[in-house]
Amino acid sequence: MEDFLAQLPQQLVNGLTLGSVYALIALGYSMVYGILQLLNFAHGDVYMVGAFIGFGVLTALLPDSSPLLPSAVIVVLMLLAAMLGCGLLGVGIEWFAYRPLRNAPRIAPLISALGTSILIQNAVQLTLTANYRVYRTEQVIPAAAGIGLGDLRISATRALVIISAVVLMIALTYLVQRTKLGRAMRAVAIDREAAATMGVNVDQIIVLTFFIGSALAGAAGVLTGLVFTRVWHTMGFNAGLKGFTAAVVGGIGNLPGAMLGGMLLGLVEAFAVGFIAPAFKEVITFIVLIIILLIRPRGLLGASVIQKV
Amino acid sequence: MASEPLTARRRGGSEIVAQALERWNALSGSARFFILLAAAATVPLLISNDYVIRIAGNVCLFATLAVALNVVVGYAGLLDLGFIAFYGIGAYTYAILSSDQFGIHWPSWASLIFIGLIGLVFGLLLGSPSLRLLGDYLAIVTLGFGLVFAQLALTLDRVELPWREGTVNITGGTNGIVKLDPLNFFGFQLSNVTHYFYALLIWLAIVLIIVHRLNQSRIGRAWRSMGEDALAAESMGMPTRRLKLLAFSCGSAIAGITGGIFAAWQQSVFPQNFSTDVLITLYAMMVLGGISNLGGAVLGACVLAIAPELLRSPELSRLIFYSALGLGLLLLMKPRRNGLIVLVSVIGLGVLLRLIVQAAAPDLLSPPTIRVAAASVSTALDRFSQQFGIYVQSWILVLKEPLLPGNIAFVVMIPALLALSRMKPGRLKFGLTIPAIYLLIFVWETRLAAEPAVTRLLLIGGLLVILMIFRPNGLLGRRKVEIV
Repeated sequence: MEDFLAQLPQQLVNGLTLGSVYALIALGYSMVYGILQLLNFAHGDVYMVGAFIGFGVLTALLPDSSPLLPSAVIVVLMLLAAMLGCGLLGVGIEWFAYRPLRNAPRIAPLISALGTSILIQNAVQLTLTANYRVYRTEQVIPAAAGIGLGDLRISATRALVIISAVVLMIALTYLVQRTKLGRAMRAVAIDREAAATMGVNVDQIIVLTFFIGSALAGAAGVLTGLVFTRVWHTMGFNAGLKGFTAAVVGGIGNLPGAMLGGMLLGLVEAFAVGFIAPAFKEVITFIVLIIILLIRPRGLLGASVIQKV
Repeated sequence: MASEPLTARRRGGSEIVAQALERWNALSGSARFFILLAAAATVPLLISNDYVIRIAGNVCLFATLAVALNVVVGYAGLLDLGFIAFYGIGAYTYAILSSDQFGIHWPSWASLIFIGLIGLVFGLLLGSPSLRLLGDYLAIVTLGFGLVFAQLALTLDRVELPWREGTVNITGGTNGIVKLDPLNFFGFQLSNVTHYFYALLIWLAIVLIIVHRLNQSRIGRAWRSMGEDALAAESMGMPTRRLKLLAFSCGSAIAGITGGIFAAWQQSVFPQNFSTDVLITLYAMMVLGGISNLGGAVLGACVLAIAPELLRSPELSRLIFYSALGLGLLLLMKPRRNGLIVLVSVIGLGVLLRLIVQAAAPDLLSPPTIRVAAASVSTALDRFSQQFGIYVQSWILVLKEPLLPGNIAFVVMIPALLALSRMKPGRLKFGLTIPAIYLLIFVWETRLAAEPAVTRLLLIGGLLVILMIFRPNGLLGRRKVEIV
């Protein structure tokens, strides 16, 4: 028991770090699902591309001699480049793989999404090979830097991840709740046709949704790279799955739900690794998912909407 | 006058084909089924090459799985992403029941029946809680189940049991379980590829007949109506929950038994035999043929199980790539002669670029990398393909360091081709087609041909997206009536 209490704060920090990443991915899933009722299976691969863009920027700005720019600027540039690149990639995917299928049977865009995911993964494998790439995080953020609170120590990298995720989530909430664009997005999510009749440019809103969702995934990719340092071409599959699970746990289509679900999933996973057995973390996560869905079939914050026929 | 006999003969030829087609269509469904089955059964008699028979066996295996998946996804409309786990459970159950892992050696018929029951039970176990969930939630739960299976297969090699000393090895981890007993039915032991091919073919036939009969019955009609509109079916008094469970466990049981046969055939099981790649391939097969179409599922399995094998040999894949490109140009460009113009211009562009590079930086170029093999060690087709490759390399850029330029060309090519596919027809599109095709050939020669495994997956991915865009209901699928 004492062991448990001693470890608890550290596992909490681990869980929140992991949860921030999952929450950022889950937001993209949830936003797209809310508007198009589409499972964007390629979302995890967008996240992977983001991690690679961050790696590219980091490597370019950090020659072996000495860094070209101050560390803070490098990190911000990595995030911005990955967000922009991934946003554009997301818009491209929507235009190429989903838009022609707007009115097709429901399984068609799903298969098309699977195809896109295979395409992106293998394109990356072809050009960048299947090897691991390693972020040289310690040259930007020293491993010793951190905040100490008694026994608990939060390393600067983890603090950066949690803070960036929170900032991005606040920005997103502001955008969706307080701006005209956000109102249009909510309107399209509730009823696409009615929104179109009211003068909302639906296509534009969908493109914007894909851009924002994919940009968040790109940021998540860079943050993962900074904390866990290794990136590889199939990393998106598992992360995408976790993000999606988080979105479902929170109630898919519901943005605060996605944030909550992501954090919860991260905590469950960290506790499973820390207190039970690392080998069974997927099993435990999955069992938690089933239990939550059995108690609340529409997720934690999902409204029990009456289905219209 | 001189051409008269020719046209007559031509018409005669097409008439024969038309007549044959008419007769074929006039046959009853079951007659057609048995003719195709008999034709498939002659494969090992005509070809004695074990490699070809192995591919044929693979086709049967995947066709059976695709048909089973069709019951779940196509008929009952349940998006089951954990399907591959049932296949894996079947294979691992067979492995445990017929190997030295625990020293158990059950007779084959008993283990196969047991595997079927296990499949049913697991189908019910996973199905009964998760069928309460709506479509996409079901997808995530089943996908999670598949992942859990994959992880357990990897990690259950050192299980600690409270009532025993030490650890127990159940699944063998990454090393899998090897040296399984071959299938053995009442003294007849299946010992070579041909035997397993027949076993798989017979199993496919049985599954097809069962599924077809089921689909014609009351249950099948209920399934289809449920797949069409679950709510309406329920309000008509159909027990949708039970029907869904039935479809789910039916598919699981078939997948399990197929997995058992697969394990016996391969005489070993490894976790990577049941990876998500296999699941994606299965979905691609089912969708390619058209969802809820049994013939389509078999056709899709044929195409996607045979195509990668053809792409394995560089000679054959070169021929296939260039004939596909040529055919595409001829069929898609209108009027037809435009295809020829594009082809000539691409070669012209290639020669021009080559001359420029030769003048500016001759050190970058390398002589053709393809050699024509001696007639004694290769077939005429291979030599033709190699000769053809040399012709292509005589006008396309062949670089000494192809990796970086090839990658850059690849990255440029994808958005270029995508943008081109969405442009309105016109002069500009026509003009841009030429460099795009040059780029495509360059990328093929420098990168894609060198990495067949990646190229295969790229093709499958692209195929899925393009197929969905042009035929959202699959090759043989019928358009569903959309209720608004």
